Amino acid sequence: MASNHSIDQRLVRLALAGLLTVTATAAGAQETGAPAFFAEPHVITRGIDAATRTLGDGSDVKNGFYPELSNMPTGAGWISAGPGYRYWFFGDQMLVDGSAAISWRAYKMAQARFELPHLARSRLAIGTHVRWQDLTQVTYFGEGPDSLEANRSEYRFKSTNIAAYATVRPIRWLAIGGRVGWLDSPSILEPAGSFQRGNPSTQDVFASDPVFATAEQPSYGYREASVTIDTRNRRSYPTAGGLYRAAWSGFTDQDQGVFSGHRSEAEAAHFIPLSRSRVVLALHGWLTASDTADGDSIPFYWQPSLGGHNTLRGYSDYRFHDRNFLVVNVEARFALFTHVDAAVFADAGNVAAHVSDLDLDKRSYGVGWRMHSRESTFARFDIAHGAEGWRFLFRLSDPLHLSRLSRRLAPVPFVP
Amino acid sequence: MRALFLLAAPAVIATHLSSCAAEIRPALHPDAPPASLWVAPADLEDRDVFNGPWGADRAPAPDARYRVLEHKHTGVNPGMTVRDPQGRQWSVKQSGPDTPDEGPVEVVLSRVLSAVGYHQPPVYYLPSFTLEDDWGTHIERGGRFRLKVASLKDRGEWSWQQNPFVGTTPYRGLLAILMMFNSSDLKNSNNTLYEFRSAERREYWYVVRDLGTALGTTGRFAPLKNNVDAFERYPFIRGVQGGYVHFHYQGWHQELVRERIRPSDMAWAGDLLGRLSDRQWRAAFRAGGYAPEVADRFIRVLKNKIAAGQRLGGLQEWSPYDAN
Repeated sequence: MASNHSIDQRLVRLALAGLLTVTATAAGAQETGAPAFFAEPHVITRGIDAATRTLGDGSDVKNGFYPELSNMPTGAGWISAGPGYRYWFFGDQMLVDGSAAISWRAYKMAQARFELPHLARSRLAIGTHVRWQDLTQVTYFGEGPDSLEANRSEYRFKSTNIAAYATVRPIRWLAIGGRVGWLDSPSILEPAGSFQRGNPSTQDVFASDPVFATAEQPSYGYREASVTIDTRNRRSYPTAGGLYRAAWSGFTDQDQGVFSGHRSEAEAAHFIPLSRSRVVLALHGWLTASDTADGDSIPFYWQPSLGGHNTLRGYSDYRFHDRNFLVVNVEARFALFTHVDAAVFADAGNVAAHVSDLDLDKRSYGVGWRMHSRESTFARFDIAHGAEGWRFLFRLSDPLHLSRLSRRLAPVPFVP
Repeated sequence: MRALFLLAAPAVIATHLSSCAAEIRPALHPDAPPASLWVAPADLEDRDVFNGPWGADRAPAPDARYRVLEHKHTGVNPGMTVRDPQGRQWSVKQSGPDTPDEGPVEVVLSRVLSAVGYHQPPVYYLPSFTLEDDWGTHIERGGRFRLKVASLKDRGEWSWQQNPFVGTTPYRGLLAILMMFNSSDLKNSNNTLYEFRSAERREYWYVVRDLGTALGTTGRFAPLKNNVDAFERYPFIRGVQGGYVHFHYQGWHQELVRERIRPSDMAWAGDLLGRLSDRQWRAAFRAGGYAPEVADRFIRVLKNKIAAGQRLGGLQEWSPYDAN
């Protein structure tokens, strides 16, 4: 009997504890003041707090070692990790940063950056960046909007890339940037790494591609100029404002001279808060157009590519390649809890040999969930449907994060 | 994957093995100046707990314009070093975007510790301030302001496990007080050894400086802090066994208080805190920017804990069920 009585007491205590937790949950949500449709369970709030404290908020403010969890291109797998170290010298005047990482599919990278970000009272930033990378399983389906899914192939891409860059900010939200860089003779190899999907080598499937006509890929010199207006309230989890950008870039084959070209880009992302910021409508459009001299061609690893978790989510990563590309994304996010959003989205776009042929014929739709802090998205799970079926995506970044814009090196292969 | 595991495993193991902590024993630097943790507060009842031991003259002006010198590159919370119009430099600790403000907690606990005799640097709380940076002037989120003073030189951190005061009543009493506040972050990196110099003397002050993880629950990962609901709910003492007080403490370095704090230490700490008047308690919370109704709830819980500590004095065995 005594034992039963003790169990009853414990049950009553547990029930009371549960009641207190529910009460506290409601109170906790009120305290944060963040917009959401429902009061957030404490376990989520504390999980986000722990993640922020342990992993940082994604900014580069803190000195010392940090976990390098990003900095891998699309296709690397759902997670990558490695050590990083950064240090600010002379107050906030000079930044030295270095990191290395390995991903789920054994993509590897090492990078180092040196930057003077606050010259001329923060109006001028200059820096240099070097990166070595070994991308073991980059997918390629052939050129053009009608490339076949059945022609899926993979190649391994190893490269060393170095650039110097400068950004002028006459006003806080306007950046005029320029960079010059060198891509040292990249290697195109047989696919390798972990969790291989058994796809054939690109060299076997597309043996007649001009890229494989030479034993070694040339080195490239490249340059870019850009103008960016950025009024987003946060970079990694924006809920208001917008980003509008135009860029002109070129790359020059330093060996044979046949793989040289130019590229023009226009991009806009706008975030509209609705219902007291509990709903955010995100709109994004991006047009890229390439041009070459007569007789020159653009190797597939320089070509714009469409498809995957940041562009057309119902299609595979790098699904379509061609000289020109257009994509439009519309996404509505609903703040279920303070740190959890539900999302519905639609993506549309295409690639084409000529800009005038671009359309929005490739489409995908879907729903998703986002786990985020106030400053950045920690994780997302998207279910997307397109003409080639369903895709389930788990990533550790926001689809419209536009993190590629903060990269200082030319993106090779082109990473949307 | 093996590489990922090998990277993560040592950190996880080190986090969960208390045996990784150093042995707890007294330790003294032979060439160091006299060491001081606590000075008996003869005038406790008269102390200005709102302005603290460094006084109103050293407080930051709420309406001044502060110039940012450098952003904070260490610790979890954001912050910056700023200079005021008088040329004084302040270290400002702000709240993170997703975390409760630690500044009020730090200032309250600092005020209470200094009132009862423990050394503290000059810290104050401002809810907001005017900041001038490269882009102009704007109103910035406030936080804990700590003044850089010439008489206090930061000489690095000191160890909870090995310092001159291990085994002394003020050392154990300090831990007892921190238990009362549910201070969860008993890490050496939160301790600062200050070299204090004045015309009359030079000594090393052993200061628990980063006190912001308190007034909530205890825990290693993301304990609730600055949360009066949680503070009211969270249990305090499990009982007394073998002459030692057992706490419901789940924070860092539980070995510091496990079978180390005696009922007499609780009574000593309780007697010290019990000398603070209601006016002084409210002043401490007012210094941290708390609304009176929230402060009263925190104070009510703290007084209950103080009374519980005082009641333990002299007991060798006690369980909360004994009360029934």
